Amino acid sequence: MHGLSPQQFTETVSSFLVPYYVSLAVMNGIAALWLWKVPKPTSTIRLFGMAVPSSLVWAAVAVGYLVLAAFSLGGQSLMPQVPQAFRTAVNERTGPVIYTVGTTVLLVVLYLFRAWFVKPTVAWTVWNLMLLFLGLSMPDPNFFAIVAKPDNVPIVALVFLLAFFTWLATERAVENDRRMDAGEPPLEKLDDEKVLVWPDLVYIELICMVALTALLFFWAMWLQAPLEEPASSVKTPNPSKAPWYFLGLQEMLVYYDPWMAGVVLPSLIIVGLMAIPYIDFNKLGNGYYTIKQRKFAYIVFQLGFLELWVTLIVLGTLLRGPNWNFFGPYEYWDAHKVEALNNVNLSEYFWQWWLGKSLPAVPKLEWMLTALPTWISGWLQPMSQFVAILFTRELIGTLSLLFYFIALPPLMALTVFRKFYERMGFIRYMVLANLLLFMASLPIKMILRWSFNLKYLVSIPEYFFNF
Amino acid sequence: MADKKLTVAEILAAARKADTQGSGAPTAKEEASSPSEPSAPPSGESAEAAPAAPSAPAKGTPPKKAAAGGGRPSVAEMLAMARAGKQGGEAAEAPVAKPAAKPAVPAAKAASPAKKEAAAAKSAPIDTQSILSAARKGTKPGPMTKAEAEAKAATAVGDAAKKAKAKEAIVVPPMPVKPGYAKPGTAKAGKEQVGERRAFLFGMSALAVGFTALSASFAAWTFASIRFMFPNILREPPSRFSVGTPDKFPAGQVEERFKAQFGVWIVNTEYNGQQQIVALRTVCTHLGCTPNWLEAEQKFKCPCHGSGFYKDGINFEGPAPRPLERYAIQFASDGSIEVDKSRMFQEEMGQWNDPACYIPV
Repeated sequence: MHGLSPQQFTETVSSFLVPYYVSLAVMNGIAALWLWKVPKPTSTIRLFGMAVPSSLVWAAVAVGYLVLAAFSLGGQSLMPQVPQAFRTAVNERTGPVIYTVGTTVLLVVLYLFRAWFVKPTVAWTVWNLMLLFLGLSMPDPNFFAIVAKPDNVPIVALVFLLAFFTWLATERAVENDRRMDAGEPPLEKLDDEKVLVWPDLVYIELICMVALTALLFFWAMWLQAPLEEPASSVKTPNPSKAPWYFLGLQEMLVYYDPWMAGVVLPSLIIVGLMAIPYIDFNKLGNGYYTIKQRKFAYIVFQLGFLELWVTLIVLGTLLRGPNWNFFGPYEYWDAHKVEALNNVNLSEYFWQWWLGKSLPAVPKLEWMLTALPTWISGWLQPMSQFVAILFTRELIGTLSLLFYFIALPPLMALTVFRKFYERMGFIRYMVLANLLLFMASLPIKMILRWSFNLKYLVSIPEYFFNF
Repeated sequence: MADKKLTVAEILAAARKADTQGSGAPTAKEEASSPSEPSAPPSGESAEAAPAAPSAPAKGTPPKKAAAGGGRPSVAEMLAMARAGKQGGEAAEAPVAKPAAKPAVPAAKAASPAKKEAAAAKSAPIDTQSILSAARKGTKPGPMTKAEAEAKAATAVGDAAKKAKAKEAIVVPPMPVKPGYAKPGTAKAGKEQVGERRAFLFGMSALAVGFTALSASFAAWTFASIRFMFPNILREPPSRFSVGTPDKFPAGQVEERFKAQFGVWIVNTEYNGQQQIVALRTVCTHLGCTPNWLEAEQKFKCPCHGSGFYKDGINFEGPAPRPLERYAIQFASDGSIEVDKSRMFQEEMGQWNDPACYIPV
């Protein structure tokens, strides 16, 4: 926190943490009370081999939060926080690779062991740990500066909201899958009473609208709008960030040409989402939560949404600092942090590093300008030159791209996607395969960038074509 | 006859006639009984001859009182009177209940009470209120909730018995004789026609005025927008400007003084083994942000996506696909260096070998 003395900073943090811990205590207290009043199958927890009533456990957790709240009042020395050694380790170890691979592994683990993670006791514990981690990290000035920035509050809220809703849907899906394995109908079929749009639904929407408007009012009063200095065409703020919902796109722009990441891929995302109803041939899973019956659709969607969209938003918001460098969660945003990002094109790797030659010269094709009338050579010469560059200097990249987009779909149809191809027919299958390949090209390019400093597979800056 | 258009002379004549006779033609009285003229009726007895004449605003309710217009009729009334007079006695016999003093549309809607009842009995409720009430009563069409289905099944038997009883109790009243005005007639059509024409005429003029004003303001707005594109004064820095003599740019220096105003870095650097003074454009070749010169790291670094450029403008890190662009640079006649922003040179196109884009030192 810049511009604040340590004393002022401690007061600011403590003014946030005390009500925060108290509300967490209230949350756990309510849970304990509810479990005590309404006995559930989950009303005991096995703790050190003993069956303890869960209401007692959560009441103890609530008391623990109250103790933390009391300590938060006690100034810098008593403020509960994660140890400095842990923070340093996190700062040193994290990077885009660890972050992305880590979130992917986490999602895979959550998916594989979903039946365990959705159990109310486990989920409530994870929820408490997430909130506790946030609270314990807040006393770090660098962490606080990023997380408590009015811009970033929605992102922090998004992380928790998303965790909750993912749990909610997964819990229903796991339960439904279990029921359907046992030959029972899904939960939603038990209670499929039809209700009227008006007034049943419209009233709920009205109430939500009023409540959300009220929330926005209080939000606007509590957090100041993050205004910046007057705009100037010659001075770009550092770091310069897109609106939070576009930060996934901005992260994508790091790995792609602006034409690809700014126009082609976003359009493909929209077109692909629109194409889902026509691609999807699985008739199961209508009107109820399920994972087992729609494994492919579920995995593709969660990979695209949670991994390629949300985690990139979180990365762009919280972990990208000045000059778009990666900064650990407890790291000071130093505008002069030096990171070696010396990027090399595939053509340079191929010609200069492997073959030890210089890059082949760009074919000039000047004979066209003299031999042909202007109206033909005007477009034919640049076009031929472009194609000539594709198959001389950028040959290896062109071949790999052709293989990726032309040869891979039939190969996939013959191997892993054989059943899909049989069910879908040629056109639908090709659309699916190409959309999947485009989607997969982002993580592939990220990995290539990180592991080989690869800039572009095909790089023709003369004609603004880079992939 | 109904279709025949009245001439102005005829209208005027009829109006005069009506004025002199008080309420000349038999039907003219009821026209005068419009609520806009609730003055004392001198000829109330004839107005009673039209008991079914519904006043236009209170449609459907037969006017009990005969508030025949005794005062000077309005233009609208005059016109209606004229038509009534032309139609002669047969209109008086059949009490044509057309309050032509009002626009024809409400008159057409104002069916007789009998007709209205019939219509109400025949057609299903169509407004939201009645649909909702029907839904609450449980007689709605479409899907029903479980509770509703159960309730319906439970009460089905009792309902049937009740319905049978109710059916017995109903005494069907004799169908009233259809009055003449309810039958499709030429007279009615004629009256409506005049009203419609008038409404069209006056409505048209209002519409015309409105649309003319709208188009005029839109045209003015368009012209103003076009005019806006050609300002009287262009607050744009000149594309050619002098940056000073070469001795102000020692070797290895990046001069940032001209960045804010002109968007140019003047760099004295080595390119292809030759020491040159060049003018680099301060626009990132990735997505057009303005990079910063980091003196400590000796590089240009873009804050948006992390592209980096060496001092000579060659891209080396981040996503920027090509080097920064150069502006034309040359010696002016007074020996100072002049930058010309109207010409740009791209390295990847081999244009940096053009002597117009550097000054050898």
